[in-house]
Amino acid sequence: MNLARSLLAGTCLAGAMPMVHAKPIAFSHGTTVMAEYGAGTMTEAQVFYAPKYFYSLGGGYLELESDIDGKRREITYARANYLVKRWNMEAAQANVFTWGGVGQAYVSETNGHEFAWNAGAQADYETRRYYASIKTDLQVADTFTHRIDTLQLGIAPYKHDFDSLATWFVVQGRNYTGDVHEGIEWALLLRLFKKGAWVEAGVTDDGKLQAMAMVNF
Amino acid sequence: MKKTLLTTIFAALALLSGMANAKTIEMKVYGLVCGFCAQGIEKTLRKNPATADVVVSLEHQLVAIATREGQDIPDAELRKALTDSGYDVKGIARTERTLDVIRTEISQEKKK
Repeated sequence: MNLARSLLAGTCLAGAMPMVHAKPIAFSHGTTVMAEYGAGTMTEAQVFYAPKYFYSLGGGYLELESDIDGKRREITYARANYLVKRWNMEAAQANVFTWGGVGQAYVSETNGHEFAWNAGAQADYETRRYYASIKTDLQVADTFTHRIDTLQLGIAPYKHDFDSLATWFVVQGRNYTGDVHEGIEWALLLRLFKKGAWVEAGVTDDGKLQAMAMVNF
Repeated sequence: MKKTLLTTIFAALALLSGMANAKTIEMKVYGLVCGFCAQGIEKTLRKNPATADVVVSLEHQLVAIATREGQDIPDAELRKALTDSGYDVKGIARTERTLDVIRTEISQEKKK
């Protein structure tokens, strides 16, 4: 049900606008649409438009469902992303992003809605063969505080070029605070992208599906 | 009949003259490591009315533009387009290589 709702949200976003390495900012006047299914504990859909290459504006829907006690949050938010610093090297690129936003959260324990805010940051480094990123995303309301920390390390079996299919093998480690999941959730992912379309899918150490799709246009 | 022939010859000469005036601009660009992220380069450059065609090569850190006949794009405009796409331009050169030649060279290198 939750997966279906998330996919529906992603499809609606994609339909509303003709459809990044996962970056919250595409390029000047570019739009990014993303949907992620995180092993049943996290599902998220986002759409961002970048007026300039260093910031983007948009919103998203995040659902967290604890696999410890079943409590659930459904957070709808507006968010601004900002590129703090980018290093363009001859054969590599590194970035630091930050973001913040406000929204509304449905809380299953109270069966009510609360004001919620979020903030986060991401640092990444990539060449055409190696990729590393670390991201932290904080979600806060009166009833809860959750931080989702994600580490990704990727290796490409070959160097892709602008028009060719890129293939990456990615190891992901994710830690949730606030009793969403016990311990670090590890996942092995296969990432494919070509032109402005990106898909990745894999399995967690609990044998659950981890998947993401993204489009830049 | 003679008039049609003359018109055809003049049209061909005009086309050849235009091709002679067409330019290729080659830019050395840093940070080009991800085809997905570099889509903005092609999108931005193709919006320019002087752009006829664009080639992007991650392998060569190269962005090449063929301009329409008799037209050029100022360096400042090129740098802004690449900056707006999130990249740094390290060098700009006007060359005689056509984009077809560049594509062929890139394609042949990949086969090696």
